[in-house]
Amino acid sequence: MSTAILDTNPVPQRILGRCRLWATILRISIQERIVYRGDFMLGTLMRFLPIVTQMFLWAAVFAAAPGPSGGDTRIVGYRYQDMVAYYLLTMLSRAFSSMPGLASGITREIREGGIKKFLIQPIGLLEFLFFYRVAHKLVYYSIAAVPFAVVFYLCRGFFLHTPHGWEWAAYIASLILAFLLGFFLEATIGLLGFWFLEVSSLLFIYMLLSFFFSGHMFPIDMLPQPFYTIVRMIPLQYLAYFPSAVFLGKVQGEELVTGLLVQAAWVVTFMVLAKITLQRGLKRYSGFGG
Amino acid sequence: MTSLRQYLLVFGTFARNSLIRDMTFRANFIIEFFSSLSWVFMNLGFYILIFRYTPSLGVGTGWGKYEFFAFTGTGLMINSLAAMLFMTNADNFGNFVRQGNLDFLLLKPIDTQFIVSLQRIDWSSSGNFFVGLLLLLYSLRQMNYVPSAVTIALYIVYMICGLLILYSLMFMMASTSVWLGRNETLFDFWFYIVNFARYPMEIYEGRFGRPFRWFFTFIIPVLVAVNVPARFIARPLKPQTLQDWALAGFTIVATVVMLVLCRLVFLAALRSYRSASS
Amino acid sequence: MSAIEIRNLSKTYRVNRKKEGLWAAVRGLLRPEYEVIHAVRSISLTVERGEFVAFLGPNGAGKTTTLKLLSGIITPTAGTATVLGHVPWKRENAYRRRFALVMGQKNQLWWDLPAAESFRLHQQIYQIPPEQFTRTRDELTDMLGVRHLIHRPVRELSLGERMKMELIAALLHSPEVLFLDEPTIGLDVVAQYTIQQFLREYQTQKKTTVILTSHYMKDVAALCRRVVVIFDGRIIYDGSLSSLVDHLGAYKIITIRFANGTPAGDLARFGQVILREPPRIKLRVPRTEATEIVRAILAQYAAEDVSVEDPPLEELIATLFTSAHCTAEESLVPSPLHSADH
Repeated sequence: MSTAILDTNPVPQRILGRCRLWATILRISIQERIVYRGDFMLGTLMRFLPIVTQMFLWAAVFAAAPGPSGGDTRIVGYRYQDMVAYYLLTMLSRAFSSMPGLASGITREIREGGIKKFLIQPIGLLEFLFFYRVAHKLVYYSIAAVPFAVVFYLCRGFFLHTPHGWEWAAYIASLILAFLLGFFLEATIGLLGFWFLEVSSLLFIYMLLSFFFSGHMFPIDMLPQPFYTIVRMIPLQYLAYFPSAVFLGKVQGEELVTGLLVQAAWVVTFMVLAKITLQRGLKRYSGFGG
Repeated sequence: MTSLRQYLLVFGTFARNSLIRDMTFRANFIIEFFSSLSWVFMNLGFYILIFRYTPSLGVGTGWGKYEFFAFTGTGLMINSLAAMLFMTNADNFGNFVRQGNLDFLLLKPIDTQFIVSLQRIDWSSSGNFFVGLLLLLYSLRQMNYVPSAVTIALYIVYMICGLLILYSLMFMMASTSVWLGRNETLFDFWFYIVNFARYPMEIYEGRFGRPFRWFFTFIIPVLVAVNVPARFIARPLKPQTLQDWALAGFTIVATVVMLVLCRLVFLAALRSYRSASS
Repeated sequence: MSAIEIRNLSKTYRVNRKKEGLWAAVRGLLRPEYEVIHAVRSISLTVERGEFVAFLGPNGAGKTTTLKLLSGIITPTAGTATVLGHVPWKRENAYRRRFALVMGQKNQLWWDLPAAESFRLHQQIYQIPPEQFTRTRDELTDMLGVRHLIHRPVRELSLGERMKMELIAALLHSPEVLFLDEPTIGLDVVAQYTIQQFLREYQTQKKTTVILTSHYMKDVAALCRRVVVIFDGRIIYDGSLSSLVDHLGAYKIITIRFANGTPAGDLARFGQVILREPPRIKLRVPRTEATEIVRAILAQYAAEDVSVEDPPLEELIATLFTSAHCTAEESLVPSPLHSADH
């Protein structure tokens, strides 16, 4: 299963080879997950538990919040149901944009010298990691789709607003872009391992900021003024907040199009950054006699 | 022969050895220390945000901004103690059991549960304790409330009960790794369960909320851990109702029951212990 | 009263069998399959106080399991055992204070801390009076020559030094019974030798009852006269070492590395050729003739290297069990062989 073979054969065989690679990764990943029987069943369902707490918390918040009597209380434009829907949607966005182990894996390869093989192999590090990540997500979520579907179905009453027409396409686009952005952002951080030995502290700060400012913890609209504008300027919001806002109709029409374009622009920025960092890094690395 | 004094001495050595070890890996310690602090501050930020849009959690529950912060401070103190004293050990216990490394602990002429529960103390979680304390003091000041000596004593007693309840749950879960194998998910489970206890139990209302609240008060008493001590100190404006006292009484009972259960489960786990082949 | 009495002790394990393949993995979720392993099959043994006994046997024979049973780490499936009058798996504190277990390549000392700190903890756990503790510690560290190392973090010590520290930790509370599970495994020759010497001296002085397991004949030869051979969970020999060697060591293996390539002549006239890897040759020859044969070969050919060894232990054991040359009373009787000289 040498990845080197993939590049020199004609296209159909390359695709076949890649499919076989994916099938193997799929099979092994599933097997690995099933091996510890106690674990597997519980694991995927449990990720939704914090949402339960949030549901109750927000119910209590909305109950006491000042608002029109008999009407819908809104907090920064969200009704209670919208708020719950928001959290469920961020779970979905995070399913696309979270990249567990990507940055730390890269720094480990750099530190332990595994990166060397990418100096000579025709397949690039980024390509390899990208397809691996795609395969991994497919595997994981093809199984996790079941609990996701169950939860979303049970909570369908909270989705008071769903996208209309082309907004669906926009939503899906934002999810895919979130995946790409998450990938290249984290990859870039990992690649900084060529210069800094302890990227883990950087990574940790990124994780922290990401959790807070990506909208994972609360809708960004809730932030008071100077913060709100600042946070809108950094790309983290596109990892969790933006797709959810699109779905809920908080971003519409022209704003939506602009949003998608900015998101795409960020993707391209980090894609380029990652490539450059990799190139420079490898040059620096081989300069040390590896 | 093995007296309380001996156990205290040994615990002291555990604390000291752990501190020496943590200081040897200073960089790691600092990162962990600040990471737990940052997490706390992020959550505080979130709570501050919430209270910009509402005066209290739930209608008529009495949990206004500063009452809630007192609650949070209590929770921080209890959880940080649980993290410092027990978390690493519970985690290690799971590993020991699976990899068969419990052997050496079984050889020592001292209660195995004692060693297993306390041999590693994680000093990097200590920061949260002080943040919790400061938060509590700050909230009391904002509420212009000076608790009586009795209240403080009861508060401390119930905090200890809360800690022991959390301990029992943690170790019962860790013990199950004898039977269930690798249990990373079990520890995620722990965080989710404790997640429920981060807010006053009054938020669990409604068709699902009430049974939920009942379950996590009377069957798996996590909610009791922080709620009961917090109520003593944070609801001075409302008179202590009979219900409050009943709950407090129940907490004592629950603590004892949980500790006993934990002991039984632990001993059962030891009996099933297999020890790795070399 | 004997120090250790074992009667019909057995230990059986059920191991989850994991199979290959996706479907098997799913089935494993619903209906786990087990495999039964008989680690120890009804063994009986008596050890008197002050004896130094070796458990010999190949990997997986049940030596370590037996020691773990005697330490109370695991509970038996059947049978009884008492050590110093205690039932080990009851794990009474009174018992735990009287014995020690050391396992080769397994650390109980705190990894990142100096050994001295672990010793101190040990003192507190075993409640050793301070004077006695200091005296014993200094005595042991001197005997093993590691006094200057006790303030160094354990992870900075070499494997041999670590093992010595483990031994010291185990002996700080002056146990009456000592269980050693492959204590010299993985160590270099010098460290092995030092530890062997130490154990011999220590045991002679303190009259500790010791059980040592090993699959190295060298450990055994250096330290004990009584050997218990365990194979497949059973005791197949219990007697003196010299008898055992006499019984089995009918042969020796001669390994020669010739200086000028393998000689053309037929080496088979010297003995049974069991390995031919030019320029190396291994010959199997009757023990009593070994020296003569070596002399004869060296007289004829130039050799770079010559060694004369006992056959590997596994081979000896296998011979013990299935040898066609053995007399009926030796091979077919399941109970341990006895020997006149104990």
